[in-house]
Amino acid sequence: MNSTAQKLETSTPIDTSCYADVTDAIRKEAARILADGTVTAVVGYKAGRRAGTTMPAIVTDPAEAGGLIFSPACVNNLALYLTKAKKDVVKKGRIAIVAKGCDMRALAGLMGESQIKREEIFIIGVVCAGVKGSGAVNSEPLTTGNLARKCRECTVRTPEGADLVAGTMPSLPELTPVEALEMARLEAMTPAERWAFWKEQFSRCVRCMACRQVCPFCYCEQCLCDKNRPQAVESTPRPAGNMAWHIVRAMHLAGRCAGCAECERVCPMEIPLNLLNRKMALEMKELYGFEAGLAPQEKGPLSSYKEDDDQSFIK
Amino acid sequence: MHETKEKHDFEPKIVAFVCTWCTYAGADLAGTSRLHYPSNVRVLKFPCTGRIDPVFILRAFQRGADGVLVSGCHPGDCHYMAGNLHARRRFAAFRGLLDFVGVDLNRLQFSWVSAAEGGKWVEVVTDLTERIRAMGPMEEFKALETEECWSGELNSPELQEAYNNI
Repeated sequence: MNSTAQKLETSTPIDTSCYADVTDAIRKEAARILADGTVTAVVGYKAGRRAGTTMPAIVTDPAEAGGLIFSPACVNNLALYLTKAKKDVVKKGRIAIVAKGCDMRALAGLMGESQIKREEIFIIGVVCAGVKGSGAVNSEPLTTGNLARKCRECTVRTPEGADLVAGTMPSLPELTPVEALEMARLEAMTPAERWAFWKEQFSRCVRCMACRQVCPFCYCEQCLCDKNRPQAVESTPRPAGNMAWHIVRAMHLAGRCAGCAECERVCPMEIPLNLLNRKMALEMKELYGFEAGLAPQEKGPLSSYKEDDDQSFIK
Repeated sequence: MHETKEKHDFEPKIVAFVCTWCTYAGADLAGTSRLHYPSNVRVLKFPCTGRIDPVFILRAFQRGADGVLVSGCHPGDCHYMAGNLHARRRFAAFRGLLDFVGVDLNRLQFSWVSAAEGGKWVEVVTDLTERIRAMGPMEEFKALETEECWSGELNSPELQEAYNNI
């Protein structure tokens, strides 16, 4: 569905000249802060084993900083490595992290939830013209056709609140908001049609839990959905449990999700999970004027209240 | 004297999640005042509406409820100061989500019923029961519950051919 929508549009290449500048700036900065002891490690990206891919890397030696890169294949949200879900990442001293605008929002959210302290991290912000979406060929350059869905509607191409921002933003071609159109299409359906749509989507779910493992905000040590006494959500990949799991996931991320769309990227069954996240973000904005990830906020919309909140739905 | 009980084709199952301080006492008052309300409602008592997790509502639907009622203290009357105000936000969000996945929101009712409002409890429960009776049984979640996962067709022509070739 998303790939067809993207193919309809003629692909125009995106100016990717900024990525080289950003790579240089990251390398220089990483070498500097590692050498002078500002940080003990830099979490960034390095080239993957296959050409045109990248993978997350943790660099502790200034000599290795030259291996860090930034390219349209840098899809991961590295904020994940700073949460307590990643216990194997030993945190000693201050850590630097390479963050795109969307990752920066996740970092802000995590700071608001007291998961990381601002003074304990050094943020190398990078300007980002977009990253590749699912199904993009590794050897292809970045075009409007293979751009990730979230990048088509990005509002944070230049991260704010970072210790330094690497690179300057090139001008981008006009992009159609594929996801917003999909949202509008769903909103226009009748409830029964929407139910049929989601039922079909969720029936494919294999409950690999990749969406949970990759989410920077799913850092609970014991997930409600793993508990079986009492069992709130069935853990086998049957339709009933799948529906419940995705509803619970969206609910637990309401007002917290920063929209990095990692859940959707890692989903092996291509379930459009970010639509649910978007819906909740929209709800939060409409009801409580709250937008996640713009700045670290101590209280989210669902952990606070106002006397005069809307209660038109309550008898 | 008992009124003669009307026979219906469909008796909806309604689960009511209520807070112990207000609505439960309100329902109790309705009982001690000998007010009649439909026996379709199963009352579950919680310390506070703030304790009622959206998961409970899902679970109720999955296990065969045709309607769910969540009821607690009026704003400002919460025994724990602000439990109901937090719940109000949570359920507003949850309603939006349920609507987005295609659940008919008429099956889900929220209300504030204080310990003195036995009459309002009767009214809320009667209204909801009648509404759901008119809507008929909630099939969506029950159908999911009975479906045995595999979404792929096992009797496709390819498989049939492969089977014949064994």
